[in-house]
Amino acid sequence: MGKWFPTKFRRGDIIRIGVFALALVVPFLPFVSDYLLHIVVLVFLYMILALGLNIVPGFNGLLDLGYVGFYGIGAYTSGLLTVHFGLSFWIIVPLAFMNGAIWGILLGAPTLRLTGDYFAIVTFGFSELVVLLITNEIWLTRGPLGLPGIDPVSIDLTLFGGPKWELVGELPYYYLALFMVLVTVFVMYRIQDSRLGRAWFAIRDDEVAAVSCGINLLTYKVIAFAISAAFGAVGGAFFARWVTFLSPDMFKFWESFLILCMIVLGGMGNVWGVMVGAFVLVSMSEILRELLPLLGLPVEVRFLAFGLIMVLMMRFRPAGLLPIPAVAARMRAGRVRRKKIKGPVAVKK
Amino acid sequence: MKPILEIKGLYKNFGGLEALRDITFEINPLEIIGLIGPNGAGKTTLFNCVAGLEKPTRGEILFSDTRRSVSIGGKKPESVTALGIARTFQNIRLFDNLTVIDNVKIGQHCRTRSNFFGAVVRTPGQQEEERLVTDKANEFLEFVGLAGRGEEIASSMPYGNQRRLEIARALATEPRLLMLDEPAAGMNPQESRDLMALIRRIRDNGITILLIEHDMKVVMGVCERVVVINHGQWLAEGRPQDVQNNPKVIEAYLGKGAADAASAG
Repeated sequence: MGKWFPTKFRRGDIIRIGVFALALVVPFLPFVSDYLLHIVVLVFLYMILALGLNIVPGFNGLLDLGYVGFYGIGAYTSGLLTVHFGLSFWIIVPLAFMNGAIWGILLGAPTLRLTGDYFAIVTFGFSELVVLLITNEIWLTRGPLGLPGIDPVSIDLTLFGGPKWELVGELPYYYLALFMVLVTVFVMYRIQDSRLGRAWFAIRDDEVAAVSCGINLLTYKVIAFAISAAFGAVGGAFFARWVTFLSPDMFKFWESFLILCMIVLGGMGNVWGVMVGAFVLVSMSEILRELLPLLGLPVEVRFLAFGLIMVLMMRFRPAGLLPIPAVAARMRAGRVRRKKIKGPVAVKK
Repeated sequence: MKPILEIKGLYKNFGGLEALRDITFEINPLEIIGLIGPNGAGKTTLFNCVAGLEKPTRGEILFSDTRRSVSIGGKKPESVTALGIARTFQNIRLFDNLTVIDNVKIGQHCRTRSNFFGAVVRTPGQQEEERLVTDKANEFLEFVGLAGRGEEIASSMPYGNQRRLEIARALATEPRLLMLDEPAAGMNPQESRDLMALIRRIRDNGITILLIEHDMKVVMGVCERVVVINHGQWLAEGRPQDVQNNPKVIEAYLGKGAADAASAG
């Protein structure tokens, strides 16, 4: 862990512990309403999704525009298993993880041979296919009518002679989502610092050098795609049991784009950056939803605001708010160089 | 002794362009062999064919150890690496955003096994493997003279060190044949001398070396045998001094007039 933030190890750690402590007590702060708690759960959900997506563009350097397809698959897996079989959430999460991974492999194995842009188009097509499938296979998903009446998450200890709690209200979901975020971050951290993560980073930085080190590109890209898809599906599984209602239009392409924006805004490839990106975009979306009507503007204007943010980021900070350490180091070096160049000019004046 | 690498009648066409034409030569175990020729002669194409990055149009490439020979023409680059052939690149190809030590650790990829499960759960086997990978990576860094620089970002190092790092990464794949593509390019005389010493030390550790180089001081100083190719064809072969005085070689590099002048003088 230390080697990713060699210079700021201490400061970064203190900030992280502070944020975690704050996250633990947020629900008990006096001004926190159920609505606010709902937003924070949404932030957590998008953190999981963004961390999952980050594997593909952030760790492997491949553009993925179809991530929401896996999110939808996970959500409907969870919803249908709950409605028809009444499975527990704790069984559904691993099943959704596996189902996401299977679809990731099915889509990735034939298409990851394609280079950059062509692959992105295929993924885009996939997410559209998922929406069409959910919309049209009415016998399975009830189509545009949506899938209502999904049971909320419950903790059932009756098997061991204990009680059964059904999670109602936002508070338990808050801690459940926080727990899931922590598990995701934990997994990401361990992958980053392992043979698997290094192989991904090698592919991102230089494919030719990577194969020369004995890395099979297709295998490792498919693994990346499958794990990414699996986390997307887990996010979906949580979403289904949290909002207890699903409909096809929740999984439109816009969601993919929004999650991609979070990654780009936060810092592609950096776990903490991606989480910051999710936090900023989700909370800003909610703030604008309140603010824009007061200014006499329609709510849809916030999409314009997102576009504006992306344009500004590309112009002033293309590597994101929290770039990966190497890029951050280069940016620092660049600033120093620019100052040196500016120096003599200032003297002339 | 049985040659470690045999190239037999190798052809490589790019559309209508014949980049390699009937190349045949052998490399004996523990030799330091130079591959020279004017720009565009096909040296790097030959490297790419051996390393699996290009598929030869015709011909055979045999890679042997004491027990058996494997035909590697047209094999995938990752399998060639796993068999024991490593390479560096003419224009340095490091993993720029990673630390120096991670670059070397990636070289160990094909010699290690751990997977997603091992990474997340940190099984005892995975931990043992990571320890081994880290130890070996540090050894290789020390071997090429980059000890203590493991935590630097690869792209932030000076040019000469990046060359050394690329060699360390290639060594980390634990090859029996190491192919160096212009390792002395852009080096000053002192760095070139250090590089020659390093190449000899690598050979002394039991690794055969095939070297593309334009710097004749390096070629003459370190190679025991030289193969010359020109326009994709085998031109000459022999001890460095003999090749240096071969009229055909002088003609290829400097033109016919120079060759005549040399043979007359």
